[in-house]
Amino acid sequence: MLHHLVRDSAVKHPDRPAVVAADGTLDYAGLDRRADAFARRLRDLGVGHGDRVVVWSGKSADVVAAMQGVLRLGAAYVPADDSAPAERVALVARDCAASVVLTATDRLPELSALLPGVRCAGLTGAGAGGGGETAEPGRFEAVVEPDDLAYILYTSGSTGTPKGVCISHRNALAFSGWVVDLLAPGPEDRFANHAPLTFDLSVLDLYAAFTVGAAVHLVPSELAYAPEQLVAFLYERRITVWYSVPSALTLMMRSGGLLDRAAPDGLRAVLFAGEPFPISQVRRLAAWTPARLLNLYGPTETNVCTYHEVTPADLERGRPVPIGRAASGDRVWARAADGSVCGPGEEGELLVDGPTVMLGYWGAAPQRGAYATGDVVRLRADGSFDYVGRRDHMVKVRGHRVELGDVEAALTSHPDVAEAAVVVTGHGVDARLAAFVVPGPGRRPGPLTLRGHCAKRLPRYMLADVLRLLPELPRTRNGKVDRAALAARLEP
Amino acid sequence: MAQDEITERISAFIRDRFLDGDPQGELEETTPLLELGVLNSLNTVLLLAHIREELGVAVPSLRINPSDLKNVRSITAMVRELQHSAV
Repeated sequence: MLHHLVRDSAVKHPDRPAVVAADGTLDYAGLDRRADAFARRLRDLGVGHGDRVVVWSGKSADVVAAMQGVLRLGAAYVPADDSAPAERVALVARDCAASVVLTATDRLPELSALLPGVRCAGLTGAGAGGGGETAEPGRFEAVVEPDDLAYILYTSGSTGTPKGVCISHRNALAFSGWVVDLLAPGPEDRFANHAPLTFDLSVLDLYAAFTVGAAVHLVPSELAYAPEQLVAFLYERRITVWYSVPSALTLMMRSGGLLDRAAPDGLRAVLFAGEPFPISQVRRLAAWTPARLLNLYGPTETNVCTYHEVTPADLERGRPVPIGRAASGDRVWARAADGSVCGPGEEGELLVDGPTVMLGYWGAAPQRGAYATGDVVRLRADGSFDYVGRRDHMVKVRGHRVELGDVEAALTSHPDVAEAAVVVTGHGVDARLAAFVVPGPGRRPGPLTLRGHCAKRLPRYMLADVLRLLPELPRTRNGKVDRAALAARLEP
Repeated sequence: MAQDEITERISAFIRDRFLDGDPQGELEETTPLLELGVLNSLNTVLLLAHIREELGVAVPSLRINPSDLKNVRSITAMVRELQHSAV
């Protein structure tokens, strides 16, 4: 199962680095011990098979060890973003009925006050997992079935309540096993982990590395969009496999000086996912490095379900790189509006069935059969797919998935707000989330007040870049909010 | 350039570009700009470009520390320090 990956690599490669982070490096033997120490501590806090543990923290070797410790008890971890406000974390912890929340010691008082009845414990410092490493030798090896829950990733929900995507051991292993087949990495490889641990991209970095005894280098979240630091990270850590949203790569090329330097010899693969990568940027990247360039696609609900390796012909085509064909042992097809399966040249919604499709949303009925992605695709003559767009109001902002309704619900929960509409303008690294707010009669909410209100409810990537007050929202003839007219207001 | 003038220019830019003119006059020198999402990655790039063009101070991205962007006061201090080190 998923937690055996670290255990097995600790036997084969005990001295090789496993996690390299700002708080230090753990080799595989160290990660194995630290994971057991967390398991012991969590067991003493009452965590057992089938429970959920929320981990609210920035990126660190300890967090990765804590996640492994949770799995060793047969429990599931629920990562919460470092930048998320305590209220949102509490919402998630209550939603999944977490038995324990692990977080930085200085956040404990605020969180405990919001979560009566839930054990909140310090992730680091005195009393953390590290202390008991040698006190009680013994291994934690819960009996886990392939369909048991391994982790829950919460994503933006359209009504203002985040949705918990439940991923089983089978789901995660099907995906990580496929990645290992695709890249054939070895213990010498160095994976960069750019994505937050709350984001499904991070699953590849961690578990592909753990499968083969490779190292995963965690990019600190505060550097995620600092172009020069990212470029320095790539060179200094001698990264061999890079995986991020295209926005980060665009920034590195545009403002980080990436293209001014010779590509590092060891760089074998650059993977990207989460949003379309403009072909002009892919061309620059391909001219810079001979590394394999791979476009991965898949919503959190299915992890990666299609992929495409960039070819010279793609660079000529002048269109975004295709999302490609089925990955991870999944089956994918496009369904037309009339329910039929699309033929070449036709557009329809992408459906996914197979071993990576989630168990379901937490608290909802289990997912049965194919998952409908909400993404519109076009079938190409060669059997691969082009991405066309969304069917609904979910957008991607620098790779992060944002339901506009989630942001609107946070705004309208303020007593001075009558109505709100949120739109996205621009693409890729220049995408901007813009909120338009209509105050209630006689009310005059300040933009900073509204931002503060949202900052208490939403993770930072869901906070609007632009916030404007309007006397009323523009409407189309049939009375719907005219989002195109709102977006046009932001044109320079 | 005097400290007050730097503070005023930075505040004016933030009010105008990110706060819809700040009609209620809410922006203060200690308003937590990172926490409120006013200075996210994109807006930070815009602010630094403005500081470079209008105040003639280039802030190298390797130099940026999140604590420098905490609020108008810390941004002013950072600009002042870079002005002095450039002389």
